[in-house]
Amino acid sequence: MSEVAGPHAALRTWLRAQWQLDPGEHLHVDLVGESTAGARRRNLVFDIAGGPRPGRYVATVLPTADIAIVGMADEAMVRMVARDHGVPVPEVIGVCTDESVLGGQFFISEFIGGETIPRRLLRLVHQQGLGAKIVGQLGESFARLHAIDPAHAPAAISAPPDPVGAALDAVHAVIDNLLQPEPAFSYALRWLREHRPTEPEQRRIVHADVRTGNIIVDHSGLRSILDWETAKVGDPMEDLAWVCTRMWRFGEDHLTVGGLGTVDTLRDAYVAAGGAWDDHRYHWWRVLVTMRWGTGLAGQAAMHLDGRFSSVVMAASGRRVAEMAYDALMLIDAR
Amino acid sequence: MQYRPAAAELLDAVASLLEADVIAAVPPHLQHQVRVAANLCRILERETQLADTNDDAERVRLSALFELMGTGDRNGDETNGDERDLTSLRADLVARLDDPAPLDPVVERSVREALLDTLRADLAIAKPGYAAPAGAP
Repeated sequence: MSEVAGPHAALRTWLRAQWQLDPGEHLHVDLVGESTAGARRRNLVFDIAGGPRPGRYVATVLPTADIAIVGMADEAMVRMVARDHGVPVPEVIGVCTDESVLGGQFFISEFIGGETIPRRLLRLVHQQGLGAKIVGQLGESFARLHAIDPAHAPAAISAPPDPVGAALDAVHAVIDNLLQPEPAFSYALRWLREHRPTEPEQRRIVHADVRTGNIIVDHSGLRSILDWETAKVGDPMEDLAWVCTRMWRFGEDHLTVGGLGTVDTLRDAYVAAGGAWDDHRYHWWRVLVTMRWGTGLAGQAAMHLDGRFSSVVMAASGRRVAEMAYDALMLIDAR
Repeated sequence: MQYRPAAAELLDAVASLLEADVIAAVPPHLQHQVRVAANLCRILERETQLADTNDDAERVRLSALFELMGTGDRNGDETNGDERDLTSLRADLVARLDDPAPLDPVVERSVREALLDTLRADLAIAKPGYAAPAGAP
């Protein structure tokens, strides 16, 4: 009865088959806990004793395939490509698309110790004076990611030929379907159209959700960039803009990059590692991603109201829309 | 008219209960939701006190904008701008902003200022301090 036996037994059986272990060979799997990070996906932390790869690992489980932004196998592939090019990403040691093993597709990656919870992470960073170091490491990581030939990206991930136009069309479609008219978004969209940059000369693999909350940090600095489910081929400056969104500063508003450090530090590190920084595109993407996150919060409120995802947290998102609208309009003047 | 406590006073009582006792008493996976619920009570407490004034001010601002654009009260009829439904005033402004025809720079600046004034008033309810000058976008 595998359901009674629990996920550790299912994992052990799956790993034995993956590694083609002899029946007599010892393999012990011990479930250590469930990580709190990630709202939709489960992260099971477990120890493996025996077999070719003993150690501590995480199984990231997608509960149902229909809410996948990027399939688990594709996400695992993006992670491996990024890791091969020097981006700090936990090593993936296995992917399973059979939903019957753990109740959803999953991949297994090495467990990286450290802090992920934003306010605790920022406290650690500022107590240890690590902010500028981590922002430099982020800039370098982005440059490495954006140097990868996008031909290495799995074919299934989003890769619009016109990332700027596609992003504009997407926000336009959303604001046409808001629950109530929001002229601040219409004003921002108007500005975005009037100041639209050319399409990027080189489309690259972008993570699209690097921020405080999706990184692991310890006393040595940046350890890992997590949650690659939003990865796509797009404009590299989108990554550099999103990490600077005010919501990811958790009150440390003077430190634009995730409450960690300054844009100058990010830019210098990115350029020093070979990245091509563009101020105009950076600013345009800042406005776009700020507004887009505002529409995302409006969407969460709608999901609560229409019953797709009823929760007090989703409901509360509606009272956060004004933050993003305000920031978008302030950014428009800030140049 | 209901007897006291007023709505804001009741919301304060509920928020205090959630913050002082309930968060500590629920299992960890519910604590975030309780914290959010307490914060919503605080938001609604401010909303009962400020929303009417804010909505009136927004109506006046939007009417002044339509005046400045020379479109007056687009949906006309007998009601004047100050009495019109705020949602329909906002929808009119959205329609004008969606129209790609250029806006006079003075109008454009005025629209932005009016929208920011409204957002500052919304934030005074939803997140006091967010629109403070130190809050860099």
